[in-house]
Amino acid sequence: MAGRAPVRTMNSAFIAMIADEDTITGFLLAGVGNVDLRRKTNYLIVDSKTTVKQIEEAFKDFTTREDVAVVLISQYIANMIRFLVDSYNKPIPAILEIPSKDYPYDPAHDSVLSRVRYLFSAESVASDRR
Amino acid sequence: MGEDEAIAKSSEDQNDDGVSESKAVPVEDKESINDENVEKFLDSMDDYLILVDSLSSILRQGWLELASARHSMGASRISASSYDMKYHSAATTLQLQHETASSDVGQPHFVLRKWESSDSPKKDPSDSPTRDPCEAKLEEDKWVQSVSSGLRIRTKGTSESSESREKKAENTGSPLSVDGHAQKERLKALSMFGALAPPKLRAAQLSFETALETLADIANVRASLLRAYEQVQKEMESPIQ
Repeated sequence: MAGRAPVRTMNSAFIAMIADEDTITGFLLAGVGNVDLRRKTNYLIVDSKTTVKQIEEAFKDFTTREDVAVVLISQYIANMIRFLVDSYNKPIPAILEIPSKDYPYDPAHDSVLSRVRYLFSAESVASDRR
Repeated sequence: MGEDEAIAKSSEDQNDDGVSESKAVPVEDKESINDENVEKFLDSMDDYLILVDSLSSILRQGWLELASARHSMGASRISASSYDMKYHSAATTLQLQHETASSDVGQPHFVLRKWESSDSPKKDPSDSPTRDPCEAKLEEDKWVQSVSSGLRIRTKGTSESSESREKKAENTGSPLSVDGHAQKERLKALSMFGALAPPKLRAAQLSFETALETLADIANVRASLLRAYEQVQKEMESPIQ
């Protein structure tokens, strides 16, 4: 389709993470941690001292990297950069919002669900079909 | 006979009340295609919500196990300061495939590849046991059973155990050696927090591995959800004749 970038094939793409320490510790135990020669990691630990700017920069960095297939981001962190997450519309890397310990998953804030939500409003469905 | 007439009449009434119906055949076909896409969209939405719910409970279990391990090992030992900051590449990665369906642009399809490192021998993709996470889990269970029986044999004598292990390797082929490699990688990840890992830490590791599998499924369902949504939106915007 015109205007849509083709999906590239990647053999071993990383999973980037922007989450709190416990979540990242758990996923590092599962083996997704990557440190390259420049000591750059594929994760960002967000704590009380992390600024919104740092989160934005990490998000932009992970979403522009060629070797990242999925970016996991805790939903409460995604809420801090909601405008960036919602305006992101590339198929790869996929942005997955995950719950965190202190903030359970809220479908109202999920970027994917909010994108498709308007299909459920009575107004849009009924008016086209009558 | 009377019943058939009544049924036909009631179905006609329903058609009149329901969404726009026309006697012309092309529009009905178009309607059925519309309905098919809407069904796909709703199915994907349902799958997505179910998977996210299951991810929440798996993560909750993982956090609880992590907290339990922290309680036994000490808070300072399981923290960001223990992370391995030396150069190493991720053992668990994603393989991204191009799914070419009937449409021109393919949908991305994510496959989780667990516990593969640059040291592992490059295998033919058809041999890769991690292509399907469910299959990997089954083979892992088989391997665990074979190892446990191997351990029992080992107490009798090391020569016996090596022979039996070799025989098993011949019988099962690659899965045994690959899953042995997976166990080594798991231990390597655990060793980040100290030589002796408590059982709760191992359990947390397995929970987060399961969470990764669920996340790969979520990524696939998300892609199909967005695709179905685009198709429904396209149909809604095109003029209905």
